[in-house]
Amino acid sequence: MNRAAMNPEQNPVQTKGAISIRNVTKIYDPEGVNVMAVDDCTLEIQPGEVCMVVGPSGCGKTTLLNAIAGFHSVTMGEIYLDGELLCGPSKPKADQGADRVVVFQNGALFPWKTLTDNVAYGPYVQGKLGKAESRQKARHMLAEAGLGDFLEKFPGEVSSGMARRAEIVRALINDPKVLLLDEPYRAMDELTKSIMHEALLEMYDRTRVTLFFITHDLEEAIFLGDRVVVMTTRPCKTKKILNVTIPRPRDYRVLSSDAFRQLVDETNEAVHEEALKAFEAGEREMA
Amino acid sequence: MAETETVAADHQRNPTGFQVFVVRLRRNLRTTTPYFAVLGIVLWLVVWWLLCEVLKAPRFEKMPGPVMVLKELLSPEPFLGISIFTEEFYQHVYVSCRRIFFAFCIATGLGVPLGLLMGWSKRFREYTFPILETLRPIPILAWVPLAILMFRGFEGPVIFLATLASLYVTTLNTLLGVDSIDESYFRAAGCLGSKPHHVFLHVVIPGALPFIFTGLQISVGVAWFSLVAAEMVSGDYGLGYLIIDAYMNNVTIPMVIGMVTLGFVGWGTSVIVRVVGSRMMQWRTRALALENR
Repeated sequence: MNRAAMNPEQNPVQTKGAISIRNVTKIYDPEGVNVMAVDDCTLEIQPGEVCMVVGPSGCGKTTLLNAIAGFHSVTMGEIYLDGELLCGPSKPKADQGADRVVVFQNGALFPWKTLTDNVAYGPYVQGKLGKAESRQKARHMLAEAGLGDFLEKFPGEVSSGMARRAEIVRALINDPKVLLLDEPYRAMDELTKSIMHEALLEMYDRTRVTLFFITHDLEEAIFLGDRVVVMTTRPCKTKKILNVTIPRPRDYRVLSSDAFRQLVDETNEAVHEEALKAFEAGEREMA
Repeated sequence: MAETETVAADHQRNPTGFQVFVVRLRRNLRTTTPYFAVLGIVLWLVVWWLLCEVLKAPRFEKMPGPVMVLKELLSPEPFLGISIFTEEFYQHVYVSCRRIFFAFCIATGLGVPLGLLMGWSKRFREYTFPILETLRPIPILAWVPLAILMFRGFEGPVIFLATLASLYVTTLNTLLGVDSIDESYFRAAGCLGSKPHHVFLHVVIPGALPFIFTGLQISVGVAWFSLVAAEMVSGDYGLGYLIIDAYMNNVTIPMVIGMVTLGFVGWGTSVIVRVVGSRMMQWRTRALALENR
C-alpha cells in the first residue's frame, strides 16, 4: 500500500492514450449570436501523461473535454487518439466510447445502483463480461481501492469522497486509454481533497493511464500533474505550458518544497492575469 | 487483503425497504405524531357530532351525525339495509375495488411505457404530446355518453372512464420523470459503452421511478374520483352507486356510509402504492432514511 516503497520498475510504461488536439475551434450558437468557446487550440498529450488544464471559470476547458468525450462537436480542427481520428471536419462529433471515460464535476454514479453494480455496469453493457463475472471483478477492484465495506451501499449512503473514488474505479474497470476528469474534487474540503489526491496518485502509479484533468486549483494541478496547461479566458487557447519536474511517487511533503512553491508562483501569475480578464468581461460561465 | 475484504462485505446485510419501513414505524410510534393523528380524527368526529346531534346547528340539522351513522354501520340488522354485517356492503366495496384494480393496471400498463417513450424519443413526443394535451382537459363526465355507446354492460364504461383519468396523470408524470433525469447520467452511460437499450433500461426507467410513483399515487386517487362519477351514471353496484342510490331514495345515512368507506378504501390503495414504491426504490428509501425523512 505504501507508494514510496513501491519499486518504480513495476510501473508499466504506457504506450497508449496519446491525445492530439490540433487547431480545434468551437463556436456555440445558442441565440443566433456566435460565441467562440475555443479558439485554435493545439495540444499534444503523451501516452500516460497527467495533463492538468487550468484556466478561469467558463473559459472553455470543459468544452474541450466534451469534444474529446464525444458529448459535443467541434467547429474546426481535429482531435486524434493514438493516431486515430476522433473528430474532425469529416466527423464533427466523436463517438462516445469506453476508451475515454469521464469523471464528472458533480459525480454521476447512478444513484439507483449499488457501488458494485455501478462499477460492473461498463464491462457488462459492453458485453466483455457476464453479469456475475463483472460484479466479481467490480467487488475486487472496489476492495482494492479501499471501498470493501461499501460494496452493496447506494451512492446516496456514502460520503462524496467515497462516491468519487468509486466513480474512478467505475472508469478504470474499462481499462480506458484516457481518463477525463472535470474538476472532480471541486466541492470538497481541503482535507478530503488531499486524501483523494493521494489515492489518485496511487491509482496512477499503478495504471499509468493518461489523465486529462481540469481544475481551478493550482496546487492540485502542480501536485498531480506532469504538465500544467494554463488556458486563456474565453475563447480558450493555450497560454502557457509548465513542466512539473518533481519526481514521482509524490506525497504531501512535496507541497512544502521550494520547487513546488516556485511552480505555484509561476503558474499563479499566468492564471491571475486571465482570471482578471475573465472577471472584467463578466460573462456568464458556460457548461 | 482484497480477498478478505470481499468476503467480509458479502456477509454484510443491508436493511431492505420493508425492514426500513418497520424501523421507521417503530420509531414513529415513540414520537407524538401517530397519537396526534388519532386525536385529530377524534376531534373531527366530535365536532361533527356536536354540530349535527347535540347543537343541531342550522344547516346541519338534517345531516346524519356520527353516532347515527356508526349505529347503522355496526348494526347486525340495519334499518336502511347497509352495514358491515350485510353482504351488500362488501359487494359494493368489492365491485369498486375490482374496477379500480383493472383501471389502475390498464392505466399504469399503458401510461408508464407511453410516458417513458415520450420522454426518451423526441420525435415520438413531437407526435403525441399535442394529442395528450388536448385530451387531458376534457372532463371525465363529458366522456360518459360516449363510453356508454362504446362499451356494453356496466363494467366496460366504468372501467374505461376510471382508466382514462388516471392514464393522463401517469403518462404526464412519467414524462416529467424522464425529463428530470440529470444529463450527466446519460453521458456517463454513453461513455461507459452503453447501447440505446441499455440507456433505456438502466437510466431512463430507474431515473424516472420517483416521478412515476408520485404520479401513480395521484393516479390512484384520480381513478377513485372518476370511478365514483362513472358509477353514479352507470352501474349496478359500487360505492359510487351506493351514494347516488341513497340520494335517489332520499336517505342520507347510507350515503355517508358510502362516503366514509370510500375515504378509507382510497387511503388504503394509496398506502399500497407508496409501499410498493419504496420497495422498488430502495436506493431512495435508504438515502432518505439517512436524512431522517
